[in-house]
Amino acid sequence: MNLASRGGPLQGVRVLELTKVWAGPYAGKLLGFLGAEVIRVESEGSLDVTRSFGVADINKAPGFRAVNPQKLSVQIDMKTGEGIALILDLLKHCDVLIENLRPGAVKRLGLGYDAVKAVKPDIVYVSMGMYGSEGPLSYQTGYAPCFAALGGVSALVGRDGEPPAGMNVRYADSTFGTAAAYAAAVALLHRRRSGEGQFIDVSAVECMTSMIGDAVMQHALDGSVPGSDANRHADMAPHGAYPCRDGEWISIAVSSDAAWQQLAAAMQQADLSTRFPTLAERKANEAELDRMLAAWTAGHDAAALAEQLQQCGVAAAKSASSVDLVSDPHLWARGFFREVNDGEGGSRPIVGPPWAMTRGAEIRDGAPRLGEHNAYVFGEILGLSEDAQRELVERSIAR
Amino acid sequence: MSALKGYRVLELADGVGGEYCGKLLADFGAEVIKIERPGRGSATRDLAPFAPGVAGPERSGLFAYLNTGKRSVTLDLDSAASGATLAPLLDRVDAVIDDHPAGWLAAIGLDPAQLDTRHPALVLCTVTPFGQSAPPERRHAEDLNVMHASGWAYHTPSGSPPDAPPLKGAGRFMASYEAALDAALCIVAALYERETSGRGRFIDISKQEVLASRVDYVLGQMVAGDMDVSTSRTSFDLFGPAGIFACRDGYAYIWMSAPTHWDALRKLLGDPAWMNDFPERWLERACTPERVAQCREHIAAWLKTQDKEEVAAQAQQLGLTLVPVNDVRDLHASAQFAFRGYFTEVEHPQLRRARYPTVPYRLAATPARIDAAAPLLGAHTDAVLASLQETAR
Repeated sequence: MNLASRGGPLQGVRVLELTKVWAGPYAGKLLGFLGAEVIRVESEGSLDVTRSFGVADINKAPGFRAVNPQKLSVQIDMKTGEGIALILDLLKHCDVLIENLRPGAVKRLGLGYDAVKAVKPDIVYVSMGMYGSEGPLSYQTGYAPCFAALGGVSALVGRDGEPPAGMNVRYADSTFGTAAAYAAAVALLHRRRSGEGQFIDVSAVECMTSMIGDAVMQHALDGSVPGSDANRHADMAPHGAYPCRDGEWISIAVSSDAAWQQLAAAMQQADLSTRFPTLAERKANEAELDRMLAAWTAGHDAAALAEQLQQCGVAAAKSASSVDLVSDPHLWARGFFREVNDGEGGSRPIVGPPWAMTRGAEIRDGAPRLGEHNAYVFGEILGLSEDAQRELVERSIAR
Repeated sequence: MSALKGYRVLELADGVGGEYCGKLLADFGAEVIKIERPGRGSATRDLAPFAPGVAGPERSGLFAYLNTGKRSVTLDLDSAASGATLAPLLDRVDAVIDDHPAGWLAAIGLDPAQLDTRHPALVLCTVTPFGQSAPPERRHAEDLNVMHASGWAYHTPSGSPPDAPPLKGAGRFMASYEAALDAALCIVAALYERETSGRGRFIDISKQEVLASRVDYVLGQMVAGDMDVSTSRTSFDLFGPAGIFACRDGYAYIWMSAPTHWDALRKLLGDPAWMNDFPERWLERACTPERVAQCREHIAAWLKTQDKEEVAAQAQQLGLTLVPVNDVRDLHASAQFAFRGYFTEVEHPQLRRARYPTVPYRLAATPARIDAAAPLLGAHTDAVLASLQETAR
């Protein structure tokens, strides 16, 4: 079996995942998309909920398959001492460990940084926690929307004059995963140049705060506390979402005085550009301008109007529904959506990497079946005989 | 020790996406040389927030935040004469970051298509709204448009009625910050491989794709045909009583999806009678809109009498996922952030001393660090140009 030769910048790097749900798996996915070999340690006794959520067949769980393409799966029972010893053996052959189990769980399992470092001194150990691994609030737990609430993101999302509404409930895990992946890559580069591994502690809440760094700076500079601002922008006006035909919406951002003249011309209300020629004047009359724009856009088809505005240099885009996303020809043309092997001789579309790069890694397989790569991991990486592998199964260590 | 010490990065970018990427690298010790237009400098110098009482190109807190630790060189890249300076610079750097519209790099003499032949060892990364191959009808886009084109806005907030405008998310630059993370990841991965191969590569980051990728758990199911696609505003949502509620001193977010959460709530509230109207395991098995509304009503009435920090601490002890909705003032006052050293004081010659946010990861051996404030416009022009001449000699 030749699993390692997909090319890409991280070819030759091996990552072990002790991860659950979304954030940890997303970090592993990005490293896999860059060419790393990513192995998920799983077992029937502590199955990731995304493998069982709403489905009968744990090998065909849609949520799991969505975030774990191109990974390998090995079954090792983490509830036995022998299982833990086996994982430590495996870690001797790995470069990176990513974990996002509950606070303190890896230590209780005997897989904390010190234990892993003892067998693999130059390991890059990535620990992911809501608040990070230490500190007065590190005992607290939560799901993605909690990260966004704690990190200051939710307070900035909402309609004018209304309580904060927050981002869509799905936001936060994947941002957290990306920050962890970046930190891991930095540590890998340091290791390549110095031979030194290290412990990395990533906080989900701080990841959220880094998405609003300028608002945090604002408070540092003048003490103000920004709140939710609908679709508005301090440095542009108009800047918003406007209703179109059939429940559709268009986003329009007027980023310069010239763009405003073009928009006013498109609206066939050239006097608007002479009445509100500057940003200051448009900001001062923003609510009125938003009403006029909304009245104008209301009868239009959103995509056609966006195209018309683009032709005259105005930044505009339809607000995309899930139908728009999945049918976006640009996303297919760039390989963002792409087909991979489904493990049964057919193919299956996945969400690919959000980048294009020269000499990138090949991405050819979907998410693994539970234990699909037991033979590769136990046989080829650990060098266990077939008898020894059979014994692991019989004694329920690989289950 | 700094992980990226010794690497030299040329930052041609003058938007938030490229500048934040450069900052993520500078924080780990990379030498980032920022090219700015003579006179006005980077476009971000004109963007809020502004320090009270400061005028001119150094007044922007946004620029100050995004450009810590960098060196500023003024050079008009759009003039034909700049090539004589740019060419030797390109020979001296390991990576280049840009976020101008597609086509601009070729115009200044750094065509991505010719990277492999002209600058085979260079890592070149661009961050643009729709990638280098964007069709003409997507040429003009701000972060607002990208948030809307990615699907996030249409589905934000959760539970939006069809007639309420979709929302762009938090602040002005989510699309840029998110894309910068992927850009920095790809650049560092490329440098990793280059250590042994000596080869560079071209990396083309699309903000739209970065954002759409952030919802892969849902979108991956949709594109595979495992989940319905629709024009519904709630097609990304999870249903249930979770949400933001008003407290006495602000807001709190409560999550409830499992019987353990319901049991913890019962303990926290002292076993109130209203909870007995709900069937066993209703959150999983009988989560009807009526029950959700009823449950939310009771939670709302109770939380109105509570303080967010205190009630969150009590709830967490009992296993109920309830957290305060923090604003930026709360973040500056957070004991957890203080413990982790999330803020750091930076002294800037014109903005004076201020507490800057740092990064969300702590690397034990090679911590990220802000070594210097953002540069004054053109502060390093002479030094960098002189070093080029020295090399030429």
